[in-house]
Amino acid sequence: MRIGIVCPYSFDVPGGVQFHVRDLAEHFIGEGEEVSVLAPADSETTLPGYVVSSGGATPVRYNGSVARLNFGPVTAAKVSRWLDHGRFDVLHIHEPMAPSVSVLALMAADGPIVATFHTSMIRSRTMQTAYPIIRPALEKVAARIAVSEDARRTVTTHIGGDAIVIPNGVYVDRFAAAPHRPEWTSTPERPTIAFLGRMHEPRKGLPVLAAALPAVLDEVPGLRLLVAGPGDPVEVTDGWPERVRQAAEFLGSVSDEDKASLLASADVYIAPNTGGESFGIILIEAMSAGACVLASDLPAFSRVLDGGAVGAMFRNEDPAHLAEQLIGLLKDPERRRELATSGQARAHLFDWSVVADQIRAVYETVVEGRLAAQTEPSTRWNRFLRGGAR
Amino acid sequence: MSDVLSWVFAVLFVLVVIAWYLTYTAARLDRLHVRLTGTLAALDAQLVRRAEASLELAHSGLLDGATSLILATAAAESLENPGEHGEIREAVENDLTEALHVSVTEEVGETLHEDGPLGVDHLARLRSACMRVQLARRFHNDAVTDVRRVRRKWVVRLFRLAGHTPMPRTVEFDDEMPPGLVA
Repeated sequence: MRIGIVCPYSFDVPGGVQFHVRDLAEHFIGEGEEVSVLAPADSETTLPGYVVSSGGATPVRYNGSVARLNFGPVTAAKVSRWLDHGRFDVLHIHEPMAPSVSVLALMAADGPIVATFHTSMIRSRTMQTAYPIIRPALEKVAARIAVSEDARRTVTTHIGGDAIVIPNGVYVDRFAAAPHRPEWTSTPERPTIAFLGRMHEPRKGLPVLAAALPAVLDEVPGLRLLVAGPGDPVEVTDGWPERVRQAAEFLGSVSDEDKASLLASADVYIAPNTGGESFGIILIEAMSAGACVLASDLPAFSRVLDGGAVGAMFRNEDPAHLAEQLIGLLKDPERRRELATSGQARAHLFDWSVVADQIRAVYETVVEGRLAAQTEPSTRWNRFLRGGAR
Repeated sequence: MSDVLSWVFAVLFVLVVIAWYLTYTAARLDRLHVRLTGTLAALDAQLVRRAEASLELAHSGLLDGATSLILATAAAESLENPGEHGEIREAVENDLTEALHVSVTEEVGETLHEDGPLGVDHLARLRSACMRVQLARRFHNDAVTDVRRVRRKWVVRLFRLAGHTPMPRTVEFDDEMPPGLVA
């Protein structure tokens, strides 16, 4: 199968959609398919061989945040060339509403189209103004996929119709094979716990964890808190008690390999997020790496953790409950091992191989329908409307 | 004189715009109808595949006699009506889903799984067929929703842009995965 994938966001900077596209493309290439990805990227950025750059991206304020997008007549011509040259059996467009190569590809394309919706937070005013412009083009989409229930709800309320929910995939084996690092591994006197994410964003929950730590340090004085992610430690730790500050170690932004090793090495991985999580892919990564997970009881987290069966949970934004759960886990290595083992088993449900099989089924259904439609007889009037094609 | 001429041009311009809009809408509708034909054909194909997979399982000798009979009857019913649409077909597919639910229970799924490669193979084929029925029906109903929305537009109704094509309706039947196939 020749598969064309369009990513609207620049490959210059990392991001959820970019990773999703990269992983999906690599999975299908591994299965012997022909895959080409079209995405904005600067000429200096080194790209994998299967990515075609649509040109440098411009930072634009859109839908409440700054996104690096690519548009304009030159880009539109490039998109058309890529489509003509690729002659894809199926075109998979990510974020079809993003005003970048996605919309351009959607407008220019004329074959079986699959669209994946990632965001769940499109503002209704953006939708109201943008929608009439691209509604006719969106009607070309033969199959809609949403990466989460929340993203699906956005589709059903704003666009109408329905979408199939196929979550993000995780390369479970890649995380499972991560080596332990001695500097992050606990000793009997000095157990380690890990936090990952942008530390200055309150909804990632670091303040909740910091508020819980004094009680934990009373019971487990040697505890080390390893914090990985972008942010300024001085600013973040402002107002923390001195001994909590002493216990925290800031690693800054870490590579994918380091992230996996950190998750594998720490005794407990803590996800104190207070909201805004639609899926919780980081929990699945932690489970894959064999970490014991302690997370807030957000609905998305609860779904991933099977209602608490494969990871411990605490009441959202309740530091006292967090401390109680954490102390319990730190004092019970047996329970930690059990949770880690069952978590790793469950993570396989979210593996890329499972997810990609579902996406392949979508491709095949769409392609089959297109072939059937082409064998239908057409009248002169139909041919006129299709610009003499077929 | 020039007054008359500019009026003529104005009217001509308006006519051209109207003509363009009508052709544009007609092309849009035509594209939607092509998509609809495709999704319906895909749904038909997947339903046949599901019925065939059910029939194979019924004939495999892996199920007990009574269950096989229930499943085979329902599957044969579905295979007898290929290409037919409407309430009768929906009822038939509903019956097949129900038959699958009573025959491929969780216990049966586990037993088949332990029975060896043949059972696993049958389960995998049936699971894939059931999943694709769900996908195909969802995609078809999405296309129906889009077509109906455009066909409700006043230009489409006033100029009869849809011609004699009947108004499509969504296909409604239970396509829930039988418990023995989940996970």
